[in-house]
Amino acid sequence: MASITDCVVEGLKYPFKDINKLLIFGVLFAVISALSTFIGAKSLDIFRAAVHINEMNNGTLSQIPFSQLPTGDIYLVVGLTIVAFIVSLLIMGYQYDIIKFSINKKEDLPGFGDIWAMFVNGIKYFIVILAYNIIPMLVLVVGTAFTGESSVLPIIIFISMLLFIIAYFLLLMALNNMIAHDSLKKAFDFREIIDNISNLGRGKYVGIILFTLIVMMIISVAVGFILSFITVLFAAIINNQAFVISIVIAIIEGLFIDSYMGLFFNRVCGSIYRESIK
Amino acid sequence: MILDIYKDALEYSAKDWKTLVILGVICLFSFLFLPAFLITGFNYRVINTAVHGIINGRDPLPGFDDPIDMFIDGVKVVIVQVIYLLVPMIIFLVFALIAGHISGIASGVLIFIGCLITLVVGVAACLMSQMGICHMAYNDGAFSKAFALSEIKEVIDEIGWFECILTYIGLIIIVFVISVVVTTLIGIIFALFGVSGAFLGVDPSGILLLGTFINSTIAMFIVGPYLSIFASRSMGLLYTMQI
Repeated sequence: MASITDCVVEGLKYPFKDINKLLIFGVLFAVISALSTFIGAKSLDIFRAAVHINEMNNGTLSQIPFSQLPTGDIYLVVGLTIVAFIVSLLIMGYQYDIIKFSINKKEDLPGFGDIWAMFVNGIKYFIVILAYNIIPMLVLVVGTAFTGESSVLPIIIFISMLLFIIAYFLLLMALNNMIAHDSLKKAFDFREIIDNISNLGRGKYVGIILFTLIVMMIISVAVGFILSFITVLFAAIINNQAFVISIVIAIIEGLFIDSYMGLFFNRVCGSIYRESIK
Repeated sequence: MILDIYKDALEYSAKDWKTLVILGVICLFSFLFLPAFLITGFNYRVINTAVHGIINGRDPLPGFDDPIDMFIDGVKVVIVQVIYLLVPMIIFLVFALIAGHISGIASGVLIFIGCLITLVVGVAACLMSQMGICHMAYNDGAFSKAFALSEIKEVIDEIGWFECILTYIGLIIIVFVISVVVTTLIGIIFALFGVSGAFLGVDPSGILLLGTFINSTIAMFIVGPYLSIFASRSMGLLYTMQI
């Protein structure tokens, strides 16, 4: 490869190789988007009800008995959240497969045959993400809790942001490393991860990821324009149905855009790993 | 040498009017944000053919195949330009910040010096960014080559700084003159139509409106793309002028 940006070009073309699988992957995203829109609306309802009861009783929020709240809605929201979490695990499992195919340089898109394996891989993926974000998260939470509203707070936030960024860059390579060796342990083999990164060159590694993120940003801004046009169009046709419109837009976005972005980004990540172990 | 570059670039851009129209259509849709990068990507392709070709050679115009590749090239070009232009902007901001904290005549002097330095650095940054893009194209699109400052400086040294800046300024003047002349010509023609129409007792506002419409159409579909190809070709040829 002449230039590392060729990986990005290859990644952008990759989802077009099998539109059906792209759309199946998109269905998962569409389910998530629709669910989260619905959950958001429902939790707003619950919150509104709680505030209403609060105003009538003149008490604090913690004094409201649970039975007074719309219990059915709460159970619904909890249930839907669990469903959404399971679906997102499936998405992560599929992303695992994408990276694997990319590292092995397979040209086709991974299939959806083995749901259970996808689920297990998704849990692995999720654990690694969680583990890498836990330190900056702790710094942020503990720092905020201890310092209160003193002048140290901005510094704490800055440090935790820095840690988040560092963790993110390590995380991508860690995920690749785990998937390449197919073992969870390898995700925390820091020596190998840092070796891989310096093998490619730190500046190059950071640069290619930033470049990919910029490309994603440009695409999403452009798509945002188009989607907002569609929204206006829908709003003109269907009057007074903001909820329906937002769900339709969320489904469109999940079906085509999020799935495309997911495929693209993970494909590029896999290619970066392939370049780094050369 | 400079005139040869301009002559070749002017002829090269006029080779195929279909390309110009396609570019114009892309330009029309660039409010969607994505096509704007396609245009810069196409200009990058022009530069790419120029740096690998020879002056007055029979290079063909690049095609529109593989739009994703073109898009990524465009993103690369934009990033390179933004990073280069950040340098003079930051210098100016630093000067402005310092000048804001001191008062009296010193701040005025300081801001004047700052403007001068920004101007010099800005011209250098424009030139370096163009040459950086050419250097990147010459090295098969390797992104790091766009920022290989010492190599780019060597290239400019070999061409000569004076020639480079002269070509650059000449380019700006030519682009400006062509666009002004074309717009004025069409404007005059339609103004004549309008005036003669008014003598014949026709309402001239319709003709003037049509004139404005045709003017902007021609500017968008023919003149704009033509000038952008011209500028890219000239910069690419300037890069090949190193001895």
